Amino acid sequence: MSTVPTARLAESINATLADLLEQDPRVLLLGEDIGRLGGVFRVTRGLRERFGADRVRDALLAEATIVGQAVGMTMSGLVPVCEIQFDGFTYPAVNQLVTQAARIGDRWNGQVSPSLVVRIPTAGGVRGVEHHSESNEALFARVPGISVACPSTGEDADQILRYAVTLGSPVVMYEPIRLYWRRSTPARDAEPARSPTAARVVRRGTDLTIATYGAITNEVLEAAHALSPEVDVEVVDLRWVAPLDMATVLESVSRTGRLLVVHEGSKDVGIGAEIAASVAEHGFGALRGPVRRLAPDRRAYPPADFEKDYLISVQEIKDEVLVMTK
Amino acid sequence: MLVARGVDEEARQLQKQGALDLWLSCQGQEAAQVGSALAVGAEPTVFPAYREHAVALLRGVAPEELVAQWAGRTFCGWDPRRLRFFPYTLVLAAQTLHGVGYSIGQRLQGLEDFVVVYIGDGATSEGDMSEAMNLAAVESASVLFVCQNNGWAISKPAEEQMRTSLAERARGFGIESARVPGQDPEAVFAACSKAAAHVREQRAPYLVEIPVARIHGHSTSDAQEVYRSREDIAQAKAADPVSAYAARLSGLGLVDSAWFDAVDAEVRELRERLMKEYA
Repeated sequence: MSTVPTARLAESINATLADLLEQDPRVLLLGEDIGRLGGVFRVTRGLRERFGADRVRDALLAEATIVGQAVGMTMSGLVPVCEIQFDGFTYPAVNQLVTQAARIGDRWNGQVSPSLVVRIPTAGGVRGVEHHSESNEALFARVPGISVACPSTGEDADQILRYAVTLGSPVVMYEPIRLYWRRSTPARDAEPARSPTAARVVRRGTDLTIATYGAITNEVLEAAHALSPEVDVEVVDLRWVAPLDMATVLESVSRTGRLLVVHEGSKDVGIGAEIAASVAEHGFGALRGPVRRLAPDRRAYPPADFEKDYLISVQEIKDEVLVMTK
Repeated sequence: MLVARGVDEEARQLQKQGALDLWLSCQGQEAAQVGSALAVGAEPTVFPAYREHAVALLRGVAPEELVAQWAGRTFCGWDPRRLRFFPYTLVLAAQTLHGVGYSIGQRLQGLEDFVVVYIGDGATSEGDMSEAMNLAAVESASVLFVCQNNGWAISKPAEEQMRTSLAERARGFGIESARVPGQDPEAVFAACSKAAAHVREQRAPYLVEIPVARIHGHSTSDAQEVYRSREDIAQAKAADPVSAYAARLSGLGLVDSAWFDAVDAEVRELRERLMKEYA
């Protein structure tokens, strides 16, 4: 299997945030323990010392307070980049995100364009305790007015963050915990994304398309590399789940004729369902077989001893591809 | 107060005729609203809940603009930026955190950071209100919370909603506060002037709780006769701050019938404009 040394995700995001703070006086960071401590994952390490406690703000331990005050800050012209400590702690902020941040622009008849970013560490595989390993991106993907990004590399996180602070509507960005400090990842094609919101074809192939996003993109790539040359898998890293870049997926499926969607969030009413439905509507003629999904069953993320059973393994991805291409 | 009463009454009529989908009457709360809005002046930015029609009119929202969202035309009928009267927020207490965040954001940029947040008694049960009070206290934000306590969260009476007054609760968060009856606009004005001076001088939050009487139901869809005694409703009507203050000014000889006629004419014109636009 080919792995290559990779810039660590946490360091990439740290550098991007530093640059954004440097370039734009309107940008400020807001989150629990992000200042003195540098964040529980040290993503914001050193930023408070460099930019001061006014711009790298240690928030109260209250997620609705973080997002609610950030909404008010956008009304005053600032660009807050919030951090929620863990995916499973997002829920107290959901009201402010869904009923307020997502709707402020319309409510103000366009007079306010809230560029507001909420960074959320996500996904499992790190022996997290309850609520520390979840993937709730599909929840926000359903909300009109919120864009949802799921980068799987530092380079993509950098591009997404730079875009998000200029978008004029809220962006939730999920950052895979297990990639924060990983030093090597499966090799990817160097093909650039067509735009900051586009998906990226990270492995060219001819036999089957796998659409995926987030941390598990690496497991998908590992499976694809292992299956080569017997089966030539194309891998599309969606990078955003709302809005979805269906053009890239459909274009890929038009060439390969097969689609598997892989994600770590649970399967039912998930991102895979939306992609499968879109391909059925707009790419049915190109399909050589049924679209399939590989994702955890609809159940809560288990205690760490059982997470291996919950998570989608490289072997499962390989098996699924072989079933679909045999 | 008379203008607000007239516009409110016309909106109620328009709703009965089917021209508005819903109306949330502010009748009985005019003294609290006018007294507080005049006390803070034109500079602060106001984060209203959704019943601050008298404040809106004072800030320059035209009656047609005020009514537009209740006719389903828009989510906000006025220019919030120009009037520094921000859109109504229907999710209870959500605006309290926006108000504090806005004030912090303004202060960080060296801009006017005085913010007035309006809230009703019912909404103070929401967690956002407690979070906003705590945030305002620890950040020493220049936020004046004005709580109009009309005694009812739709059908839930105040004594079943809380065990302390709002003024007392604010002090628990480290926010100075006062409680002033909402029948007399001059008393409200005096208390809110003191509160505003505190916010400006101390650059710290303050909460004014103003008990008011709710004359009509929570909304035009709310049949308050179902849960409220006839005596209680009659009492609220009898305590009407608008007629009481008009009678007082008149009794003191400060206004005469010509003045009332002029106000009546103004109200009539505003009501006609509303009818023309919406009926």
